[in-house]
Amino acid sequence: MAAIDSSERDAKAGTAAGDLAAFELLMRQYERLVLVTALRLLGNMADAQDVSQEVFLRLYSNLGKLESQNLSGWLYRVTVNASHDLRRKRPATDPMEFASDVPAGGNDPQQSATEAERRRVLEMSLRVLSEKERAALVLRDLQGLSTEEVARVLGSSEATVRSQTSKARVKVKDFMERYFRRRT
Amino acid sequence: MNCSNWEERIALYAGGDLQAQETADVDRHLADCEGCRDFAAGLKESLQLMRSIHEEPVAEAHFAAVRARVMGELEGSRLPWWRSAWAYGFSAAALALFLILTLVPRRRVERPIRAEAVREQGIPAIRRDVAPAPAPLHRVHPVHAVRHQRPLPILPVSVPPDPGPPAVVKMLTDDPDVVIYWITDNSGE
Repeated sequence: MAAIDSSERDAKAGTAAGDLAAFELLMRQYERLVLVTALRLLGNMADAQDVSQEVFLRLYSNLGKLESQNLSGWLYRVTVNASHDLRRKRPATDPMEFASDVPAGGNDPQQSATEAERRRVLEMSLRVLSEKERAALVLRDLQGLSTEEVARVLGSSEATVRSQTSKARVKVKDFMERYFRRRT
Repeated sequence: MNCSNWEERIALYAGGDLQAQETADVDRHLADCEGCRDFAAGLKESLQLMRSIHEEPVAEAHFAAVRARVMGELEGSRLPWWRSAWAYGFSAAALALFLILTLVPRRRVERPIRAEAVREQGIPAIRRDVAPAPAPLHRVHPVHAVRHQRPLPILPVSVPPDPGPPAVVKMLTDDPDVVIYWITDNSGE
């Protein structure tokens, strides 16, 4: 999680002065972090977009208070909490829905089908995890945060994060092995 | 794999989460245990697959949609006062009230309550034992009294005659302990 750089500072200053274009620039810097994290935690794009919208509106309201804080860490924490809140309000839907959420880039139908299946496999394997295991795995293994950073975002100890991450890795491995063995 | 006590450590090892000493311990164990080697290889493979899928680009349209929603919300909340819906409603209501007050003819006629007026009109229906009318609620200023002596302007609507102030009628009965009071208008009804 990088500290606030000069462009971020400019964007924050511009936003504080009421410049929405400056805030849009800040949003562009962090939109992948927020949207993809929410997508991995929730499993479908519509919910992930709702969470992203909420996170950025909260960021806009709280920007003045984040002067000395790590913005990435704050965004991860708010994204995880908002995703958990949404998941409790809206129970998980059919994992097959996820396949059509992210259109594939290429025009080749075979390639598109393969990419859709790969995304479905990832989504289904994340679904076998508990809420906390899923958050730990997404932040540590997919988003690439250190164990210490994950612990800070989730508000738990490093030992807890290590335990959750290792259990999650084993569960995902078992799921993928079962899935591909059935396919072959 | 029978080495269940190695499972957590190998899972951490596969993700690169162990310190140097712990990594060396796991390496030694893997060199001796084929089951754990397969287990570790499976973990690394699934992690690699997960990461590769995760790294696939997400369509720009999804980010643009979020951006548009956020900016729309922020712009909506920062509209100047003259572009807010409530301002239009308030302005329309104020204009309607102004038009009603200025264009619709006045229907209200002042109804002065004056002790003098009551005395001038006289109340023939009231007999000797009728109590005087209650004092007016407002003190009459002499200037106002003069003003009200002028004829009232002719209004476009018919105005019911001013009944004047109410009178309190006192009726004595044979029983000195029983006295009946009632309030009536000047017509004695």
